[in-house]
Amino acid sequence: MIASKRRPTKPEPHSRKRHALLFAAPWLAGLVILSIGPMFASLILSFTRWDGLSFSDGIEWVGTANYHELDDEFTKSLTNSLVYSALAVPLGLIVSLALALLANARLRGIRIFRTILMLPYMLGGVATIMIAGWIFNPRFGLMNRCMNLAYAVLDPVVRIVNTTGTTDWPTPDWLYSPTACKPALVLLHLWLGGGSMLVFLAALQRIPRSLHEAARLDGAGTASRFRHVTLVHLSPAILFNLIVGWVFAMQAFDQSYLLYNRSQRDGLLFYMLNVYRTAFDAPYRMGYAAALCWILFCILAITAGSLFVFTRKRIYYVSQSQHAPIY
Amino acid sequence: MKIEVNTKPNRSWRTVLTYTALCVVATLFALPLIACLLTSLQPLERVYDANAPLLPSQPRWTNYVEVFRTLPFARFMVNSTLISTTAAFGAVLTSSMAGYALANLNLPYRRLWFTALIATLILPSQILFIPQFMLFDALGWIGTYKPLIVPAWLGGGAFNIFLFRQFFKSIPKPLAEAAELDGASPWQCYRYVMMPTARPVVVTAASLSFMLHWRFFFGPLMYLSDFNTFPVSLGLRMYQTLAGTWINLLMAATVISTIPLLAIFLMGQRFFPDAVSPNSDAD
Repeated sequence: MIASKRRPTKPEPHSRKRHALLFAAPWLAGLVILSIGPMFASLILSFTRWDGLSFSDGIEWVGTANYHELDDEFTKSLTNSLVYSALAVPLGLIVSLALALLANARLRGIRIFRTILMLPYMLGGVATIMIAGWIFNPRFGLMNRCMNLAYAVLDPVVRIVNTTGTTDWPTPDWLYSPTACKPALVLLHLWLGGGSMLVFLAALQRIPRSLHEAARLDGAGTASRFRHVTLVHLSPAILFNLIVGWVFAMQAFDQSYLLYNRSQRDGLLFYMLNVYRTAFDAPYRMGYAAALCWILFCILAITAGSLFVFTRKRIYYVSQSQHAPIY
Repeated sequence: MKIEVNTKPNRSWRTVLTYTALCVVATLFALPLIACLLTSLQPLERVYDANAPLLPSQPRWTNYVEVFRTLPFARFMVNSTLISTTAAFGAVLTSSMAGYALANLNLPYRRLWFTALIATLILPSQILFIPQFMLFDALGWIGTYKPLIVPAWLGGGAFNIFLFRQFFKSIPKPLAEAAELDGASPWQCYRYVMMPTARPVVVTAASLSFMLHWRFFFGPLMYLSDFNTFPVSLGLRMYQTLAGTWINLLMAATVISTIPLLAIFLMGQRFFPDAVSPNSDAD
């Protein structure tokens, strides 16, 4: 390549390794200090009864006592989180998939559509939670206004069908009701589905159109094509969104903390809110809180791991020859 | 033999249907944002009047001034900007370095670290917050911004590392090795070849990090107690406790707080596809 007396040699592997370690050092240090270290520290902490502040009268080794004496709040919060996740995750998958299919349309102005769908997700966090809190206000919020409007529109129809019936149907109290508060959060979750939609969209756009053409030529209708071409190629994305969605839903904190009120009678007492209160509200039971964290971690690791392992056969990973290498 | 495809007569019918669905969905998604905007312009009496129409007859722009007078909102915005920009800078720097090490340099146990990376992505660190809190407490960092910024500088964001690694891997080997063969050190390769090429990823990672830190609530909640140090995420919550009565101010504050996010998102948007799918063959 370059005419010179001595061929330029590649640096010896040894010094390359050194450079690699130098470059990766911040990240690796972060992994150890902020992830792996705390994991073990948390485990040890969970075997103690400590308020996390004083070293003098503080630490008391109690073995697995923290794991046995799980109180009511634990069961309540775990149930709440499970119910919420059971609702939010499947619905979230379906809705974001539907949105991605729509957003994949090759029409003019589709970019604007995609931006609008991504907007709530991008703005997310406290801002969207505040907006949701207002939308779901039972008396003045947009949601119930729309429902009342729908009732008013349906009223004449109902009267025609059933002369004695009227649409005196109530509007839910949403965030002030023990039963309607979780559905409200689920709706919020669906509104913030832009991230999952993006994953699906990227996967959809990677499906070679030739496959769709071939299927169509073979006589496959839309539904059949969806089942045999689209869904198959989406399977990795579905798994990803499922696992990530499940893990994030079980760890939901912000909405639970910000929208909590007494009228819900602990309906929004999610798992991480309980952990937070245990750790930072008097009495500061850090040891017990650490145990709670480990319990959640085990639940998530086992479920996510099982999901990954048991669906291996059903996931179609496109071979490297067809797309840019992933691994 | 000419094969004709897509000559179905109901093709335009399909288009109409799709456009309708698109409009309906887009409206549904935009409606809460519009409601927020409208509420922010209402005087308080009309907000709490169930019969008043949503559209304000006289938009009360002074609400936006009230926002700044009721609480030190400008302070909150400045704080958030400070945290988010320093974190984003550190995150891009360290994550690109880590991605480079994973992709091009012979990092020992590469596969192991890559698996660890994916694991970090999927099992986020909320579960680790207790020991992290205690660590920062021992370091005396509680009450400062350090617990919020320093993690970003230690390989900020598993997703960013992932993006960089994928992108660097997709750069053709001749280009990646050209500078090296001319005698450049890895740092020079990184600085003068890899990073300029990876501009889409840099913009994407910077935008994502900025937005993530702007929205971050749990961290500031734990580490900050002096409300003058609050970022916007905590500041908004202060309006919430006032908002038993002043929901219009809360909405106005929300709108203001989202402006930087919007700006960053809209500006960086065009780089996102290139960053996520480098060299993908668009059919």
